[in-house]
Amino acid sequence: MVLMFENTLDTYAHSNGLKDTNTYFKALFAISTMLVSLISTSPLLPLFITFLMLFLVIFKAEIPWRFYLKFLLIPFIFGFLTFIFMAIFFGIGVSILKLGIFNLSVTTDGFNLGFLVFARIMGGFSCLAFLALTTPMPELFSVLERLKIPNIVLELSMLIYRYIFVFLYEAFNMYHSQETRLGYVNLKNTYKSMGMLASNLFIRTWVKGEQAYISMESRGYDGSLKTLNVQENIKAKNLILLISFEVLLLFGTYLTGNFKLI
Amino acid sequence: MNVIETKDVSYQYPDGTSALENVNFRAPKGKIVALLGPNGAGKSTLFLHFNGILQPSAGKILVDDQPLSYDKKALMRIRQKVGIVFQNPDDQLFAPTVLEDVAFGPFNMGLNQDEVEKRVKEALTRVGMEGYEKKPPHHLSGGQKKRVAIAGILAMRPEIMVLDEPTSGLDPKGASQILRILYQLNQEGMSIVISTHDVDLVPLYASQVYIISDGRIIKEGNPPEVFGDVKTIRGANLRLPRIAHLMEILQKEDDLPFEKPYPLTIGEARKKILEQLED
Repeated sequence: MVLMFENTLDTYAHSNGLKDTNTYFKALFAISTMLVSLISTSPLLPLFITFLMLFLVIFKAEIPWRFYLKFLLIPFIFGFLTFIFMAIFFGIGVSILKLGIFNLSVTTDGFNLGFLVFARIMGGFSCLAFLALTTPMPELFSVLERLKIPNIVLELSMLIYRYIFVFLYEAFNMYHSQETRLGYVNLKNTYKSMGMLASNLFIRTWVKGEQAYISMESRGYDGSLKTLNVQENIKAKNLILLISFEVLLLFGTYLTGNFKLI
Repeated sequence: MNVIETKDVSYQYPDGTSALENVNFRAPKGKIVALLGPNGAGKSTLFLHFNGILQPSAGKILVDDQPLSYDKKALMRIRQKVGIVFQNPDDQLFAPTVLEDVAFGPFNMGLNQDEVEKRVKEALTRVGMEGYEKKPPHHLSGGQKKRVAIAGILAMRPEIMVLDEPTSGLDPKGASQILRILYQLNQEGMSIVISTHDVDLVPLYASQVYIISDGRIIKEGNPPEVFGDVKTIRGANLRLPRIAHLMEILQKEDDLPFEKPYPLTIGEARKKILEQLED
């Protein structure tokens, strides 16, 4: 079971170079940097943030670069498609490239806008990736608790977090056992096996839920989960550093606000 | 004195099939009791009666000689006194981290944060899982999960621990670690009930053995008494401990002078063989 999840985000979150850094600090850093990336009107700042996070994730958190680059490929593909579509369909003004079909052309305006959106996607995603890869989920729950997220949401997410892995494990096992009996050799079998796996997993969820409830009741569950979370506050020095960094970034967005690629 | 006693307990599932019939079970204080039985005999169902999760259709459950009442307050007290460790730790460990899972019971008892922290630390040290506080359960091995599940019950400081198949699915080392923990707890006065079908281990730790089959207790007594009744044992889809089986074969097939009662553990067998060699 331990082996099966070796390459998941969760494993990295629990064993990376920055796992002992203050949780509030990481969360505040990631969220505020993401906000700066989103309000920036030039693509420069978000791209800078993307590279900064890349540096932090690979060299400070010591996440294997292969894994991280593969992870970044997801927003990259998404962002790149967005860029192309925006470049073609958005904006008015001087066209810089005629496509020759349907009278479509790329305008300066559209190009700049598309590139800005691309940069923001990359910047924003990098911030979240930084948070996801350096901070174990259970620690984030304590941040959410501090933020006065309603208890019911918090309790649900805690249970969901735990049982995702239980069912992932079950699903893997079922999948392997189906594969062993040639359940996925052709398309028809695949559909059928997938369907059975899904319905079986649903029934298991039901049964497991009942068993979990019985075992919680045995330990005196009264309908509310109390959590034992001891998180230290951010040290004053670090808080000041963080704020100055974000102010600097904001200043950067102001300075580069009118920057256009073309 | 019995920590748990059931008097003529019967239980029918909502659809009418009978799961338990006239079960009389006693767990004496400070002892380890083994409940032996094949799969589906009703072991888990009986256990769920001990802390009031299930209510018997007929009969009575006594905890500390007091009949169980089923109002909310009484149940809370009973569930602190009677700790159940479930067979599959994944059913029991629900919290995102080990720390929060072990703290769950004590918090439900209404203890304050300091006391909870103290108990969690104590319980985790007890089962040798200190240092794993921040780990999520899915990063632990089967044996480790089981130990955390035990810690979750220990932290509530129960009078009696009821364990459903505590060694099933564990490797030999994991299983012996669990048994060692239970043995130590028992030495310190904890009463323990274990359900199992690992007959080789039963004579090692149990002072009292019950055999349950099809919802009925069909044999009770100390290990030599129970395992002396070979017919009943085999009739319940169980077997003799390997060592006793070997002695039986040596007596019946090879006419070697090993008389009943057959030795049940390696220690007893060794003694008996040495005696024979000396003669």
